[in-house]
Amino acid sequence: MSLPLPVLLGALAQAQATEVAPALQLLGQPGAPDANYAGGTAATSALMLMLAAAECAALPIREAALAAAARPLVGDAATGRDARVAALGALANREALVLLANAAEAEWQSIAGPLGLPLPVPVE
Amino acid sequence: MPAEHLARFLSEHWGEPVSISGLKRFHGGSARQTYRFDAHGASGRHAALVLRRDPPSSLIETDRLAEYRALECFAGSDVPVPQPLFCDTGADSFGSPGFLMREVPGGMAAGLLEPEPYGDHAAAIGRQLFTALGRIHAEDPARATLPAIAPGDAAPARLAHWRAAFEADRFRPEPVVDAGLAWLAAHLPPPPPRVAIVHGDYRSGNFLHDGAGRLLAILDWEMVHAGDPLEDLAWACDPLWSNFSGRPGATLPLAEAIALWEAASGEALDPVRWRWWRLFAQVQGLVIWISAAREVLDGRSHDPVLMFAGTIPYRFHTLTLARALETLN
Repeated sequence: MSLPLPVLLGALAQAQATEVAPALQLLGQPGAPDANYAGGTAATSALMLMLAAAECAALPIREAALAAAARPLVGDAATGRDARVAALGALANREALVLLANAAEAEWQSIAGPLGLPLPVPVE
Repeated sequence: MPAEHLARFLSEHWGEPVSISGLKRFHGGSARQTYRFDAHGASGRHAALVLRRDPPSSLIETDRLAEYRALECFAGSDVPVPQPLFCDTGADSFGSPGFLMREVPGGMAAGLLEPEPYGDHAAAIGRQLFTALGRIHAEDPARATLPAIAPGDAAPARLAHWRAAFEADRFRPEPVVDAGLAWLAAHLPPPPPRVAIVHGDYRSGNFLHDGAGRLLAILDWEMVHAGDPLEDLAWACDPLWSNFSGRPGATLPLAEAIALWEAASGEALDPVRWRWWRLFAQVQGLVIWISAAREVLDGRSHDPVLMFAGTIPYRFHTLTLARALETLN
């Protein structure tokens, strides 16, 4: 995800207090003005918690694999997601682009798996 | 949005005491807060209305007056839209800039991850959807009082717009976006034959249907502008909005969608512009998702919808854009 995992986890914790808890209070009141909004907020938050949990579990293994694949191209910069991505981008060659695309696919699959989603299907 | 606030506003507007019932805020739609309600005048007058107003933190910066004027342009035409009623670009009427329109009864919208959202009616919806898009593009942008733009500026202006948004909101290395922007800048397309009204967010989820194959209303015009019509067509046909079906908008095959659009717009698809705008759609999407994440990162919003936008669509478009760039020279 574009948000670093610690930021996402912190934002989700904050959202539970400021967005979800008030929303849950409304869910038992279908006539309340914000009940529809509350249901959607609670459901989206639950979805994000599930994705964050999946990301926590998948991140170390995925990062190790992506770093290993990038190390021949960018050396020590391969360690650490942002440094690796920046170094691959700076190379601006086809080999680096393939690694970036493979990383994007691995990142997609780590959240698509829990949701039962396939790889993107081309429209052509 | 307290009902008392709406009652006070409508009482002044209708010139009689008005009461409000059935007030409900819709979930999603991060660029606007959207409410529906019933207004009852003392004389027996009744209206089912929708209010769209600016939120404190928005996914994208948009112009509510342009949206309102676009609705005015197509109200009563063969492009189905909700009837616009009143717009206030200040905060006096609704607490923040916003506008009122009539509710479209019985409408439903597709979810991003919902498989086959139109069931057996997918092709029927697609025929109406891409015909309506062509009709929008056949209309004169002056009728929507959109700022004029020269055909040759259409692509460079949109590229500059999203590049500026990206530079303002990026917070991590994004080499796939950098590479996409570089390719777009190096391969600017020929200008369109003429400038058109571009809806700006024409896609599944932004229109209402009746569940039985009838398109009821095109919504969410907040990104409307004058430009190249292929910008809309490419966005509508982006894989993100296909619900993993391989068909644009999860409706009908791409070739049929394009043929319908050509017939209604009166323009033949230019394959060079088409290739450019299809890549542009993915870059634009990524910038929107990055901007959403930036709202969360900076603490301006804790809305889970923005977290969702910064996660699933972000990763989807990072992957599709990277794969697309692999195929380009």
